[in-house]
Amino acid sequence: MRKKQCIAMLLAGGQGSRLTALTKNMAKPAVSFGGKYRMIDFSLSNCANSHIDTVGVLTQYKPFKLNAYIQNGRFWDLNDREGGVFILPPYATESGGSWYNGTADAIYRNLDFLDMYDSEYVLILSGDHLYKMNYKKMLDAHIANDADATISVMQVPWEDVKRFGTLEVDDTDRITKFVEKDPKSKSNLASMGIYIFTTKLLKKALIEDSKNKDSEHDFGKNIIPKMIEDGRKLYCYRFDGFWRDVGTIKSYYETSMDLLNDESEIDLFKSDEFKIMSNSIIYAPGYIGEEASVDNCIIANACQVLGSAENSILSNGVIIEKNAKVSNSILLPGAKVEAGASVQKAIIGENAIIKTKCKLGSNKKDAEISVLGNDCVYQGGDL
Amino acid sequence: MREFAVGLISSNYATDELGLLVKERNIATIPYAGRYRLVDFPLSNMVNSGLRTIGVITPYTYRSLIDHIGAGRNWFLDRSNGGLFILPGTIFGVSNTKARFLLRDINRNSIFMKRTPAPYVVITATSTIYNYDYNELIESHRNSGADITILTHTAYEDDENLYHAIINNERVASFQSGVKKGEEAFTDCFVINTNTLFDIINTYAAVDYLDLFEAIQNDFNRYYIRNHHFNGYCQSFFTTKQYFENSMNLLDIEVYRELFRNDRPIMTKIHGTIPTKYESGCKVTNSLVQEGSNISGVIDNSVIFRNVTVKPGAKIKNCIIMQSCVIEENTVLENAIIDRNNTIAKGSTIKGSKTSPIILEKKAEYKR
Repeated sequence: MRKKQCIAMLLAGGQGSRLTALTKNMAKPAVSFGGKYRMIDFSLSNCANSHIDTVGVLTQYKPFKLNAYIQNGRFWDLNDREGGVFILPPYATESGGSWYNGTADAIYRNLDFLDMYDSEYVLILSGDHLYKMNYKKMLDAHIANDADATISVMQVPWEDVKRFGTLEVDDTDRITKFVEKDPKSKSNLASMGIYIFTTKLLKKALIEDSKNKDSEHDFGKNIIPKMIEDGRKLYCYRFDGFWRDVGTIKSYYETSMDLLNDESEIDLFKSDEFKIMSNSIIYAPGYIGEEASVDNCIIANACQVLGSAENSILSNGVIIEKNAKVSNSILLPGAKVEAGASVQKAIIGENAIIKTKCKLGSNKKDAEISVLGNDCVYQGGDL
Repeated sequence: MREFAVGLISSNYATDELGLLVKERNIATIPYAGRYRLVDFPLSNMVNSGLRTIGVITPYTYRSLIDHIGAGRNWFLDRSNGGLFILPGTIFGVSNTKARFLLRDINRNSIFMKRTPAPYVVITATSTIYNYDYNELIESHRNSGADITILTHTAYEDDENLYHAIINNERVASFQSGVKKGEEAFTDCFVINTNTLFDIINTYAAVDYLDLFEAIQNDFNRYYIRNHHFNGYCQSFFTTKQYFENSMNLLDIEVYRELFRNDRPIMTKIHGTIPTKYESGCKVTNSLVQEGSNISGVIDNSVIFRNVTVKPGAKIKNCIIMQSCVIEENTVLENAIIDRNNTIAKGSTIKGSKTSPIILEKKAEYKR
């Protein structure tokens, strides 16, 4: 087999518990976004578009929806003869087995996989971030710097510094300090959780870390700070496009609704050259009925709109029956709003149903975002 | 694995009455319903019925067909066992345009069926579409002990391009060219015992320039030919008028739900387009809209394909707008079929009539 320059390891085992009802029966990377996509589409498409053809997907929390969605990777052209997508759940060995215990531990437990491909570099990614990025450029920078590790960073507003791991750098962009979620950080260069390591060094670091009983086995908290401490050459790679880690219902809602704004900075879907791919083979075109009205909406295929929709995102297979009204809402795949019902400022989970004439949510300015979980049926009253 | 039936899709025939729609295509690859090509329907029906060995006899102008179906991966036919077989049609099909099942096409490609020994072959053309589980037809065929069972439906209207199956004592006594409303019409689909098919190929080798049913028309007592009645909804495509009417009929939600049911999806080539954006102030009613479009104007009673831009002030009624068209500001389009890559200039008006819609032919993809 041809030796590979770089393979990707995609961390997709997180629950995303702050997304509450949306991750009830699936891992966060499988959560629907933008009408026809799932969060993992972005990193998988980025890999494919960056000519990285071997991707290990590390799964742990409720993986079946995700596994079924990824299949053999063919929708992202990742069913390559000499690579492709590999789902990597925790597995047992002669010395027993256990769950992945931290991001670094997840990679450590798959060192055999890294050995199998024996690539020069390893790209570590999260499966639940929304962005479009050419990893090849980052890899070029990594090689040009002769770095041991390269961390992708973006400048964030100073008030957000406390939410991120931040990096202090010298004037060559070599990293001198890494701090996790510190409001007093002297730098507003935030880590995006995208790392390229020179494989040999990563292996060494992971093995060392696995022996450290005090370690949380986390890239941000342990591996990176230790490498800096050891005087390794870590560089940052500056990214200035759109990037989001939608961790909460509020940020999921706001980021989604921003897609409806033509002036939005979201560039996820704008170019044909670097296309986000998804598994969406079976859907017929959307149907807009005789008495329907649609205004400022994103509507995916297989939607049947017989009522009205305004300022909303209707994902694949959403049904809005006659005289039903949907506004300022996000309806996830297969959601159904029955006749005469109304939905305002809400997120309706996959295959959830709003029963006929029921009213959910409110458009009032300070109203909370109402969330109906996947597969739930709303028959009125409190959620 | 032994197959219970293999599928054979015959697309080596043509009609002039589809005019500009088939100028650079063939019947099998006419774009339809916003995202499909006609061949998607028989191909998906076969796959949804469990068939995994399917041959497609290509028409004389096969570029668009091969471009569309490729190795069959979108129908899950890129397989180790069975899969999709591209079977070159004979050039002879050009002159004998209406023969749907040219014996020579079947004969020259018979090695395909010999290599996959299955008791039955489901054979269909691509000009009549529906969503159907062929197992019902195969089951009916098996139970009756017939040699051939044809699928028929009650004609919705007179159609000179369909064949009227004359049924006598539960046997198909003969075929008549042209069908009247209410008569039993051949859907151009049948199941045949593999042995019977080979017998016909051998027996009528001398007249292999004929359609299979033409060849055996004087020997209908030699074979046991039955019909199985199809109750579902189907559409035939032989004229531009039919194409237009069929497209408009798709806008009936019941038709849409029957053709595009979730349990038997019609599969097609995927293009990875983004969902359609309906801008503020747009007005869309009774229409089918494929992904990738951007809509600001007024659309009523129309079918919109992917990557279509409809600018503010444009008014579209009773139209079919194919992929990558741009409808500029303040245009009025009525009863028209706009083939792909057309740009309709600002302020222009194109109006056809319901019985004879205006057709703008496909424009070149790249300007050099």
